[in-house]
Amino acid sequence: MTLAAQILATTIILTTPILLAAIGGLVNRQGGIVNIALEAKMIAGAFIAIVVSSATGSWLLAVFASAALGGAIGYVFSLTITRANANMIIAGLGLNILVAGLLGFLLSRVYGTSGTLRLPDVHLLPKIFPESVSDVPLIGPVLAALDPLTLFAWLAVAALPFLLANTRLGLRLRAAGNAPQVVRSVGLREKSIQDFGTVFAGIFSGLAGAHLSLASIGLFNEGLSAGRGFIALAAFYFARNRPVGTALVCLFFGFLDASQIRLQTAGLPPKLIGTLPYLMVILGLCLAAWNTKRKLQA
Amino acid sequence: MSDHVNTDAMPADGLAAMVRRGLDGTLRFVVPIGIAFAVGAVLLLAIGENPLETYSLMLSEAFSSQRRFAATLSAATPLLFTAVATAICFRTGVFNVGVDGAFILGGLAAATFGVMLPMSIGWWIIPLSIGAAMLVAAFWLWIPGVLLARLDVDEVVSTLMLNFVALGIAGFLVNGVLLSETSGNNTTETIHSTAELSRLVPPSTLHSGFLLGLACVFAYALWSSVTPAGFEARLVGLNKRFARAVGISIPSTIIVVMVISGLVAGLGGASHALGQVHKFSDGFSAGYGFTGMAVALLARNSALGIVFGAILFGALASAGTTIQLFSDIPLDIVNVIEGTVMIFAVVELGKLTLWRKGKRP
Repeated sequence: MTLAAQILATTIILTTPILLAAIGGLVNRQGGIVNIALEAKMIAGAFIAIVVSSATGSWLLAVFASAALGGAIGYVFSLTITRANANMIIAGLGLNILVAGLLGFLLSRVYGTSGTLRLPDVHLLPKIFPESVSDVPLIGPVLAALDPLTLFAWLAVAALPFLLANTRLGLRLRAAGNAPQVVRSVGLREKSIQDFGTVFAGIFSGLAGAHLSLASIGLFNEGLSAGRGFIALAAFYFARNRPVGTALVCLFFGFLDASQIRLQTAGLPPKLIGTLPYLMVILGLCLAAWNTKRKLQA
Repeated sequence: MSDHVNTDAMPADGLAAMVRRGLDGTLRFVVPIGIAFAVGAVLLLAIGENPLETYSLMLSEAFSSQRRFAATLSAATPLLFTAVATAICFRTGVFNVGVDGAFILGGLAAATFGVMLPMSIGWWIIPLSIGAAMLVAAFWLWIPGVLLARLDVDEVVSTLMLNFVALGIAGFLVNGVLLSETSGNNTTETIHSTAELSRLVPPSTLHSGFLLGLACVFAYALWSSVTPAGFEARLVGLNKRFARAVGISIPSTIIVVMVISGLVAGLGGASHALGQVHKFSDGFSAGYGFTGMAVALLARNSALGIVFGAILFGALASAGTTIQLFSDIPLDIVNVIEGTVMIFAVVELGKLTLWRKGKRP
């Protein structure tokens, strides 16, 4: 029983960065922009979180800095797409390479290190409940592991269906994604609405990065995001942009991540397990396409 | 139906139009590079280096002697293949971002054959290894091709995701059944010496794969400019409805270009495995698929542009390594330049696009 609770707790924590990025990406996509550059904002967020946390001793300031940096990168990225008509896929792939290059450059020239950045006095994310809570049966370890960003992510998942369906901004965002001409014809600027979506995605990816570096390890590494931005992409594609569905898929991916070591000892190769999210999204797209085709023929 | 779409049917271009197109292409090649180097210069200034000095050092490191030029061409070699593989799809309007995965699996197949085939078959080992690589990579890109052609599954997502799957499969194999018994982790055995592609100017690593790459670019130029199939593919890329109306089968065109793209990517992987590294290990592709994409974008899918672009990025990579050693400027500046080039190759910059509004990648 304790083993299951342990895995569950690890799952929850490993899900958070994927979930945060996926929330950002799905909002962005509802607004009509496929954001391939979640990874770039995530890794930038992870980096700035360590720097700010070490400099100020405040995890909260670090988290805000990550959100701000992610949002700022998102805004510039959005301008290249909405104002300069850049192809969003190419611009996104380019941004991933550019940001990775800039960070590597900074690390080796400013910090004199290659790959890993360790700074003194990094303050990690606090736990929400005191440690004694882990004595609670079943969900104790999960409660003990909860941090503010994880809580925030799940609150966002809970609020998002309402926000997208019932608020003015949510409706406008979805309209900008589905029928930009309509948005324009009622006198709204669909490009600005889309920019909002990309900034939102940037902020959430930045937060995802902050969680990666500040949840437990307290250092920055160039490989820290390890493709999680793309796993997030797989999650909201698989769940077809639905917030709760996306969250469940993220949870499953987090579970794969958490149980990897145990699956490995059970003889399942970790490298192949790691491809599962990507295979799932391809399969999901095929099934969806198959369905549409059948309906069209019927 | 190919006789209906003869290249003669193209509107005759006046000389002025040709000059304008050539100028347009040159500007679209030069401007993103200029901006990228400017970004790099700002970065160099920020760390107190003189950008002009650095760039001229890089220039001489890349081209100033036979040995250095050979190193540049050697670094350009994989890019020739990946850029052609990308351009074939892009000009058909198929957004294939999965060349990297096909390159990796091709390299893995070639290295495996280069290790496993018996030495006694002599030089046959090379064509067999290359053939295996091409088959594997062609099959790999055939999958998203069929999914797009038959089910309309978004090829951007499928090919992007397949890159990670390819990495996973390769990682699994080189840590498992193909793992070398002698040389540690994440790598196959070294291939037989008979499987190695010949070196062109020893001691440089420039190998005959470079010539294969040039041949690929040349074949691509022929395919795209004089063959009916290449012309049909271009029509599909320019206007699907028109292409359908003149009787071109869109699904089969898509599948064909994806398979060709896979063949070229696989050949590139084989060239890299048999000519450059002589084995397959984790990190086999240093993002060659994506750099190749940057090259294809810069070149606007033109064959000549691909050669120039590949040499440019080859020069950056080989000179970048040297200046990292000697003047402590991080190699990452090459990535900064590459990323900026990609972004600005697709950004529409005012006047640049007044001449021709194309929505192609």
